[in-house]
Amino acid sequence: MSNTTIALLGQPNSGKSTLFNGLTGSRQHVGNWPGKTVEQKEGYFTYGGKKYTVIDLPGTYSLSANSEEEIITREYIASGKADQVCILADASQLERTLFMLADYVGIRTPAILLLNMMDVAEEQGKTIDSRAIAKKLGIPVVPFTAVDTKNYAGLFKALEDGRAAPGILDETGISELYEAVIGEPYRQTLALLPGEGIGAYSSAWLAAKLLEHDAAAMVIVKSAMDAETVSRLADMTKGVRNGSLLTGDCKFRWIGRLLEGSVSEARTGERRMGRFDNVATSRAWGKPMAILLILVGLALSMLIAMPFMMASSYLPMLSAPISEALIGIGISAILVSLLCDAVLTAVSFALMMVSFVFGISLVFGFMEEIGYMARISYVFDNTMSKLGLQGKAIMPFLVSLGCNIGGVTGTRVIESWGQRVTTMALSWVVPCASTWAVVGLIGSLFFGDKALIVVLSMFLVAFLHIYITSKIFGRSLIQPSERTGLIMELPPYHKPRYRNLFKFVFNRMGDVLKRALTIIICVSILFWALSYTPDGHIENSLIYKIGIAIEPVTMVFGLRWQMFMAWLSSAMGKEASLGVLAALFNAQGIWTGISGQGVATAALSGSLLSTISKPEALAFLYAFFFNMPCLMALSSTVQESHSLKWSLRIAAYYLIAALLLAMVAYRVGLLIF
Amino acid sequence: MQKLSAAKKGETGRIVFIDGDTRFLSRIASIGLIIGSVVEVIQNQKGRPLLVYCRDTMIAINRSECEKIMMEVTVNEQYDYRAAGSAQLGKVDAV
Repeated sequence: MSNTTIALLGQPNSGKSTLFNGLTGSRQHVGNWPGKTVEQKEGYFTYGGKKYTVIDLPGTYSLSANSEEEIITREYIASGKADQVCILADASQLERTLFMLADYVGIRTPAILLLNMMDVAEEQGKTIDSRAIAKKLGIPVVPFTAVDTKNYAGLFKALEDGRAAPGILDETGISELYEAVIGEPYRQTLALLPGEGIGAYSSAWLAAKLLEHDAAAMVIVKSAMDAETVSRLADMTKGVRNGSLLTGDCKFRWIGRLLEGSVSEARTGERRMGRFDNVATSRAWGKPMAILLILVGLALSMLIAMPFMMASSYLPMLSAPISEALIGIGISAILVSLLCDAVLTAVSFALMMVSFVFGISLVFGFMEEIGYMARISYVFDNTMSKLGLQGKAIMPFLVSLGCNIGGVTGTRVIESWGQRVTTMALSWVVPCASTWAVVGLIGSLFFGDKALIVVLSMFLVAFLHIYITSKIFGRSLIQPSERTGLIMELPPYHKPRYRNLFKFVFNRMGDVLKRALTIIICVSILFWALSYTPDGHIENSLIYKIGIAIEPVTMVFGLRWQMFMAWLSSAMGKEASLGVLAALFNAQGIWTGISGQGVATAALSGSLLSTISKPEALAFLYAFFFNMPCLMALSSTVQESHSLKWSLRIAAYYLIAALLLAMVAYRVGLLIF
Repeated sequence: MQKLSAAKKGETGRIVFIDGDTRFLSRIASIGLIIGSVVEVIQNQKGRPLLVYCRDTMIAINRSECEKIMMEVTVNEQYDYRAAGSAQLGKVDAV
């Protein structure tokens, strides 16, 4: 069976991912672009006995080389790996969204223009003569609605036709406009470039990009031409200050000519702002409303996740009967312990995580889908820009109050990678529900009614932490040019497309589960190996021997070895630390503690109070509060950032920062108590 | 002529000047704002990005970026895509 590769290209909100899901269903594969931290989505479908591979290119506004996404997109198109590129435009905002097509003209990879959201355009009273447009362009033009997956016939036909006779965009029109509007600088730049262009790029396209001061285009030119011509080109283009505006003018003129006579619009007296938007963006109500809706969303996603979470948390209970059965059939005890304790616990952790990801993705995917997320971005832009972030970053912070996994998952709505990873790094500071539970317990145990003061002090330090962390990570992750403020469209609200939403959520869960399982199982096995004792006596476990050996060091931070181990295990899951404390002080099996099978709190309180001093308790609370949230949050961060390196850096940063804060708290505690 | 950041709610006008680095210029052009674009100011609140309407699209632009955009108010202009781009043919304001 022959294979055709098609790539989907379009601005954000053009319906690209809807089309991708519509075409490929669940035959998708998500990975990274080689050597990059940008997500690559690939899918397959067959039509008419032929196999098609679909590449979902990153959503970008243009083909300039301003971001990693744009460079990947451009290089992929020019590489010739795609047989055809489907360029999406939104028929309801046709003129603006055709900019991508105008920017594409001059790249000699066969293309098809897809006019999406024809249903909305019809509602607006717009009629579009796609045949006339196709004739002017020299490529197939398909009017359709991406949500309506049953009516893809026109698209499939265009793809088949394209296989037989690929259509390449005619560039004479735009080249004439460049010449007329920009004049001499364009003519001379063009004359210096090789007439046949370089690779897939025509000389007119390269000339326009050089005049836009596109650094990556200069690299292409340098690789193909002699130094003297290159320096003349550089001099030539340097004189044009505002190239992007000039070429932008040409591109929109070209679009104007393209649409002239082919689009008729019934002027409607529609309001620019609906009643809801007046409230959603208002000065007084915008922020409270956004916070309220996010918190309601959080509660809803918890509610959705709860039954699944409960069910998976009972999984470790199976461990006893299964292990008995396995030992009964003569399997060695150590293997049974590995399987029933470590692996089973890990699977239950991963399932719990996935159920939460399910709830969060569904609820916040819904908010993104109907268009409300963009409003949140707008109302919180000024607040969040103080941290170098954009407005949408408020959402992950609030969600983290419930669970950091949700917070990290929620960063997906932030477009820029650097801002996304910085937001993840910052949202780790936010204490989740489980953190509060443990802090409440230990805090009130040691400090009684003064626990409130301790909590307040940690709150203040948390704000300081966020500020410092934003400086540390922001500096290397967010380029100064990325800090240029918000420029984005607020898409019109529309009805949610549930099929698309659920497809997105389920595909997502599959990926998350796969990765989570591998990471969590590995770490669980490590911890299990450390705490494994053949006879059930703690003194015989590795963790005990290591703990005793390193206690002189951990006491620098005010942590006894048991507290240190509890702190370390809180990096796996915040609740785990309680179990570990119970195990270490009451000499139960440690792993029983980590997997959360019953903690005798009353007995624990007694032994803690008799062995731990107040400064030590304070040190532990600080170390615990500021520790990394949990293994699942780390795993989500790897998943969402597409960078193991940065995820580990963030984790290491948190572990070290927590210890340092504990040390300070301990010293201060020694002075006070 | 006035800065876009000083425009009042409800005003419609033509963009006559945009300043900024390469990245900003290419970004703002790609969302449809160029010299000659007709925009309607939907909202201009202190400490908030501006909301403008241009080419069938509601666009939010950061305040500091709006400082670099100049607009000429032409209150009664009807929005029309053919009007986009006003630089006269052949005229080059660069070089």
